[in-house]
Amino acid sequence: MAFKMKDIKELDSKIKNLSKKTRKVESESSSSSSLGIAMKLSSEMVAAVFVASLIGYYLDKWLETEPFFLIILFFLGAITGILNVVRTSKMINKE
Amino acid sequence: MSQFEVYSIGPKIQIGSFDLSFTNSSLFMVLTVSVISLFFIAATQKKSLVPNKMQLIAEMAFEFVSKMISETAGKDARPYFPFILSLFLFVLVANLLGMLPYSFTVTSHIIVTFALAFFIFVGVTLVGFARHGISYLKLFVPSGVPIFLLPLIIVIEVISYLSRPVSLSVRLFANMMAGHTMLKVFGGFVVSLGILGGWLPLGFAVALTGLELLVAFIQAYVFAILTCIYLNDALNLHH
Repeated sequence: MAFKMKDIKELDSKIKNLSKKTRKVESESSSSSSLGIAMKLSSEMVAAVFVASLIGYYLDKWLETEPFFLIILFFLGAITGILNVVRTSKMINKE
Repeated sequence: MSQFEVYSIGPKIQIGSFDLSFTNSSLFMVLTVSVISLFFIAATQKKSLVPNKMQLIAEMAFEFVSKMISETAGKDARPYFPFILSLFLFVLVANLLGMLPYSFTVTSHIIVTFALAFFIFVGVTLVGFARHGISYLKLFVPSGVPIFLLPLIIVIEVISYLSRPVSLSVRLFANMMAGHTMLKVFGGFVVSLGILGGWLPLGFAVALTGLELLVAFIQAYVFAILTCIYLNDALNLHH
């Protein structure tokens, strides 16, 4: 009987240790503010579209194919932007 | 608005077609660097086991960045600690110095933040190629993609990679610019509504100042942590 009590006490201390750890993780993850997240996501989206359109514009200028590449790359940029937003939010969720 | 104006101080220096005069922007960059250096020199002057306030702040900044690097980029990123720490402190102190009345906010100009982000981008790319050689290009080819989708995915990944410096710089610049503009607008309301109605916007301006201090810190943190994430991509190539 006595040896069983010892086991229970050991288990109890283990549980206490683990719950301490999880609480620590939780408090850390909530420290990044929602305002920062919102800015992160929006700038990600805008930057991809902007960069892709810029590449398209200069490709057109170079190859003299106005407005062919600009249109294609604009849409590719939008796709990339959405993909980036999805990735970033996945990363935030993981944290 | 006058607070965003860049004007030259002292003699005009012209080399080739570049105007290299010393401006108020350069002055505040020098100030930022000297504030950081002086603070750390003073804080580490008397190294005691039980730290005084200044030493405590310096140690906290050190530990904060060190933890951030080990959490996001792992052990391999240790050698880049000085770079990340200087970057974080530069952006943070530049943002905070901009909060002082009559001062100039270096980070509210896109060219400054873009220069920072662009050098990070080039540096990270060089680190990636130095470490993995030509196989660093595998970053653009995620595994498990059907072969007929590959051209599209590669183009998307390249655009995503190239948009990093832009999103990094635009985020910092837009936050600082928007915050200061908002403060200016509410300040203008206070003056135009006079002693009768000016109290409400004055309250807002006070609250916004507090928010701006928070934003100054968060943006410096985000700038540094994203650099860590990019470094992580370059050091540990995986998908």
